[in-house]
Order: sequence, then C-alpha cells, then structure tokens
Amino acid sequence: MQMDPGLHKGEGYQYGPNPKQHYFSPYSMNGGTVLAIAGEDFAVVASDTRLSEGFSIHTRDSPKTYQLTNSTVLGCTGFHGDVLTVTKLLEARLKMYKNEHNRQMSTSAIAAMLSTVLYYRRFFPYYVYNIIGGLDDEGKGAVYSFDPIGSYEREAYRAGGTASSMLQPLLDNQIGFKNQEGVTKVPLSKEKAVFLVKDVFISAAERDIYTGDNIMIHVTTKDGTETEVFPLRRD
Amino acid sequence: MALPTETDMSLEFWRNGPTPGGLYNFPGQGTSTKMGPIKKTLSPMVTGTSVLGVKFDGGIILAADMLGSYGSLARFMHCPRLMKVNDSTVMGAGGDYADFQYIKSVIEQRVIDEECMNDGFQYTPKSLFSWLTRIMYNRRSRFNPLWNTIVVGGLQDGEPFLGYVDKIGTAFKAPSVCSGYGAYIAQPILRNALEKQPNLTEQQAKELIDQCLTVLHYRDARSLNKYQIAIVTKDGARIEGPISSATNWDIAERVGFFDE
Amino acid sequence: MSIMSYNGAAIMAMTGKDCVAIASDLRFGIQAQTVSMNFQKVFEMGPRLYIGLAGLATDVQTVAQRLKFRINLYELRENRRIKPKTLMSVVSNLLYERRFGPYFTEPVIAGLDPKTGQPFIASLDLIGCPMITEDFVVSGTCSEQMYGMCESLWEPDMSPEVLFEAISQALLNAVDRDAVSGWGAIVHIIEKDKVTTKTLKARMD
Repeated sequence: MQMDPGLHKGEGYQYGPNPKQHYFSPYSMNGGTVLAIAGEDFAVVASDTRLSEGFSIHTRDSPKTYQLTNSTVLGCTGFHGDVLTVTKLLEARLKMYKNEHNRQMSTSAIAAMLSTVLYYRRFFPYYVYNIIGGLDDEGKGAVYSFDPIGSYEREAYRAGGTASSMLQPLLDNQIGFKNQEGVTKVPLSKEKAVFLVKDVFISAAERDIYTGDNIMIHVTTKDGTETEVFPLRRD
Repeated sequence: MALPTETDMSLEFWRNGPTPGGLYNFPGQGTSTKMGPIKKTLSPMVTGTSVLGVKFDGGIILAADMLGSYGSLARFMHCPRLMKVNDSTVMGAGGDYADFQYIKSVIEQRVIDEECMNDGFQYTPKSLFSWLTRIMYNRRSRFNPLWNTIVVGGLQDGEPFLGYVDKIGTAFKAPSVCSGYGAYIAQPILRNALEKQPNLTEQQAKELIDQCLTVLHYRDARSLNKYQIAIVTKDGARIEGPISSATNWDIAERVGFFDE
Repeated sequence: MSIMSYNGAAIMAMTGKDCVAIASDLRFGIQAQTVSMNFQKVFEMGPRLYIGLAGLATDVQTVAQRLKFRINLYELRENRRIKPKTLMSVVSNLLYERRFGPYFTEPVIAGLDPKTGQPFIASLDLIGCPMITEDFVVSGTCSEQMYGMCESLWEPDMSPEVLFEAISQALLNAVDRDAVSGWGAIVHIIEKDKVTTKTLKARMD
C-alpha cells in the first residue's frame, strides 16, 4: 500500500507494514437446543426459547422451532442471523412450491430441498444446525438431521445445538435402548416422548447456560400440530 | 509498502529513496485506486453508545444520549441518534454515527417515495424492522457491514412493538431492549421493573428510562448526561429532548482517593 | 488437539445411600488409534478410597505413583488411615506444586470416611482446584455427555444395586458418543464392609 504523501513529510511518522485491522466476524453463536423424536404415527419437535450472545440473554422468548407445513416442523439453531435467513428462504420456497403444485411439500422433499439450500453456501456456510420433524408420505413419524453445509440423514431421534452432547446419549439410552440387554423394545408412545423431552431439557438447563427459560414442544400427528410450552430454569 | 526503518540495516543505504523492487512506487504519485480496495467500515470511527427501549401500556419509549465519541475522545456533544420515521414508527442507533446518518437518509428518501405513491401505505414498525434486518444481514454477508445496533419501536394495530437488529443481522423482538453497555447495566433494571409490573404507564416508563440513563451515565465512560427520548402512543410519535437527568456526586467526597 | 484429549478417558463418581461408586473406561489410545483396552485409570488409595485420573496417560501414571508415595508417608507418620477429604487436599497440593507446568490430569475422588463411613466424592482441575459435591462428579473427554447422563439418572439415596445400574448406564451411554473413550468399562461400588468391582460389557467400536 502506498504511503499517504502528506504524512511522508512529517518526521518519524510512519505506518506499520500492515495497517491495524479491526477484526470483523460475520458470525456469532446465539445458542439454544433443538430436539426431534419420530414415533410410529407422530413426531415431536422441541426447542428452548432462550436467545443469547456471550454472557448476555437477548430475550427469553425466541423459539427455535418453525412450523413449515401442517405436517412438518423445523428446529433451527446456531447464528440467529442465518437462522432468520434460512427460515425466510424456506418459507418462500415452500410458498412457491404450493403455488406451482397446488399441494404442500412432503417432509422428505423439504429435507432434500434444505440440503441443497445449505450446500449452495458451501464456502460461506449458514452457521445453523437443522433438525426436521414431521410425518412422511405414509403418515409415519420422520426425523431428518443436518450439518451446517447440508449433509443429512433420516433418523428416529436427534438432538442439536449447544446442549446436544448432553441430550443425545440419554436419547440413545431411553429411546434407542442402547446398552440395555433383554428389554422388550416397546414402541414409543406420544406421552412418553413428551415426558422424555421435558426430562432431558430440564437436565440440559442445569448445565448449559445457553439452554433455559422455556421449552416449546410441537407434537405433529395426522390431525395437525399441538403446541405446548413448558417452563425451564431462567438463570 | 513499508518505508525502511532505522533498524533495517540492509535498506539504510536507500533512506528516503525508493525501496528496492519498488522503483516505480514514488511517493505522491498514488491514485485513489492504488490506495487499496474499496473502503469498508471494518472499524467504527465516530460512535454512539447504548440505545434503550421499553414497552409500556399503549406505546413504547426509546432513549439514547447525544454523545459522538471519537475513540475515547468525547468529540461531538450534540448527535441526535433517534429518528422519527412516521407517526407510528421510531428508531435509534448506536455504533458508527456516519453509518446511522446513511441509514437515516435512505429511510427518509424511502418515506418520501412511499408518500409520492399516495396510496395511503406507509412504513409500519414491523415492516421497517423486517427491511432493516435484511439490509444489515445483506451488508454483513458482503463483508461490508453497517456498524450499528439499531432499535426499532412503534405501535402497530394498537400493539406496542420493540425490535433489535445488530451489524451481523441478529434480530429479535422483546418487551425491553438495550444495546452496548446498556445490555449489561440498563437491561437488568428494565427486566426487574417489568417483572414486578408488566404493564407500565407512560410516566412510569419515562421515569424508568431516566433511571437507566442516570446509571449508565455514572458507569459508561462513553456516555453523556444529555439525551433524547422518543415516545410512540396512539396519539403519534414524538422526540423529546435534549434532557439531562439529575445526578448525585455526594459519594465522591467519601472516597479517600479524592482527598489526596 | 488439546493435550488433555491426546489419550482419551472418561471417569465419573456417584453417591448413594451409605455407598459411593467410581467408574472409568478402559481405553488407552494415541489420538484416534486405540492401543490398549485394559488401561487402569482408577487407583486404590486405601481400603475404601479410590482416585480416578483422566487426562494424559503418562501423567496419570506419574500422579498415581507420586500420590501413593505421599499417602504411604502420611499414614506411616500419622499411624492411621487417610480420610477422603485429606486425600483431596494432598492431591490438590501435589497438583498446585506444578502450577505453571501442570500435570495434564483431572482427578476424581470417591471414598467413605474410615471412621464415620460417610460418602465422599470430589473432583479437581489440573492445577488442583477442588470441588466437593453431594451427587456426582465427572472428568474426561466426554464430560458433557456424562453430565447429561448423570443429571438425568442420578437420584438421592440409591442402594448399592441401583447405584451400580445408574453409574454403569451413565458411563456406557456417555462414552458411546465419544470417539476417544470407551472400549470397556470398570465400576467399583464402595460400601462400608466391602468393595465390589465389576467390568462391564461395552461396545468395542
């Protein structure tokens, strides 16, 4: 870079070889946890409602779940700016699909579309963790989980976000019956799923400062989605 | 390119001359294109500190002091940082003051353009907030951010609205919002008051905001005891001020430090 | 990669009614490569007193040996068994002596008071800051997973049998979500009159 001619005349006034650059980060981590469980004929999607940055709580009322269609709910955490953008984009794409095909997009198609939406930004990724819960074409519960750049798979249950590492092993144990010998693997009931969701979120709120305030629980069946709010600790 | 320094012995011979390998790079010949790439706000210059906002029964109130800081220098003492957009919408900004003035001018032009349509439509708090969120996010995605935290307030369909958006596009709505140091100092005061009484009256909200600004003035070194408030009710939007809050420095003489 | 997760480990301790339990995984690895599946990380320091050391394996063994040495000296000088809480102070002191060049290991202590039989569990950080809790302590590469499990499975006043099931499930499910710990597990259930040691059948992948 060329020196400023004016400054050049001044004695001893020099720029360093590199002008001091202030650091600009286009990302921040706003925290939060999402969770989805697929049952035989239902799906549960839940998230906490805390939005944080560093040691500050922005708001105690910011659910990270988004009702995409009658039979699909998205859980989305990470950088809130990207969360807003991705969900806005998805809602627009779903509207366009509905206008074109005169029906709502299926859960599996939404998952495939989200994957391409995320991978489109492969080299400047959306910093978001997505988990989709809903009913598939046969009316069975479906959960799809994603990484921030679009890799995805269908699963029976998945936790995502800041407390995912605390929730996931317990789900393995209680829903996947992992490390349990000689137990009858009874199909998960709606009531047990919702109970488990509350239980694991209470545990997560004990240890994760980014999880707390409230849980928003969506239970999707063929009759639509029922929503429940459950309080967590607020400290 | 760096000039040779005293300690750089190998270049000592070329003092005040062109650097080796930089033979055509004479001082004073630079054009603006040689001065580097397009200028971006990668650090703020003249800055404003916290903006506060709180909902009350039938409206909202915003507040911001009038100091324009130049680093640690209190450079400009009369910088209005609140803007009335229309009779139902106001906004306030902290961060780079030039970027705020740019945003302000864009919004003012858009308000005029909308007026020219003469279709009866105008910005609502929600539509302005949504638009600002996209502008801020778009600029951060191009690595050319508008270095501000913006608070939008107003009344829409009889409901108070209060929103926050920062330079990277993080946006949310809340009953009370604070940017900068206000998030650490004023927000606890506001949340505490709202927990005790969720529906404040306009007068209570005004007194609460004054209390917050007083504490901020005591504790935030980049603040000034001269501020404006913006109030939106069903009767319209108005910006009041400059206002100064009553301060008390009696404690100072009890601090041994001052006697010495 | 952090030096604390160079070898991989998972250790936890839990209290029950008049009993405590301490459990660890058995893996010794070098980063992603598993080298051994019967590596001792929990050491007996007295009849009803155990310490688990998670972290850099070389420091685990060094600290275990130096600690045993100091406790032998203590018990010879005092002519009585060391209390769990005193052991914690000895460990804290040992680690803080290396404040600016620490042993890369974070210990977990579980034991019963030699006189009163009162359950005691504690954990320390690598420079010897102690923490005594009433419920459970964890240490190792999958501490988040262990916290999640313990926070849900622990309850007050568990019998030795229930305590064994709780700590075993907590450990096994936690290490299964960690790439550098697992490969077998060992559990010690410490009661007033006996210590039961069990090795668990675990996923070996």
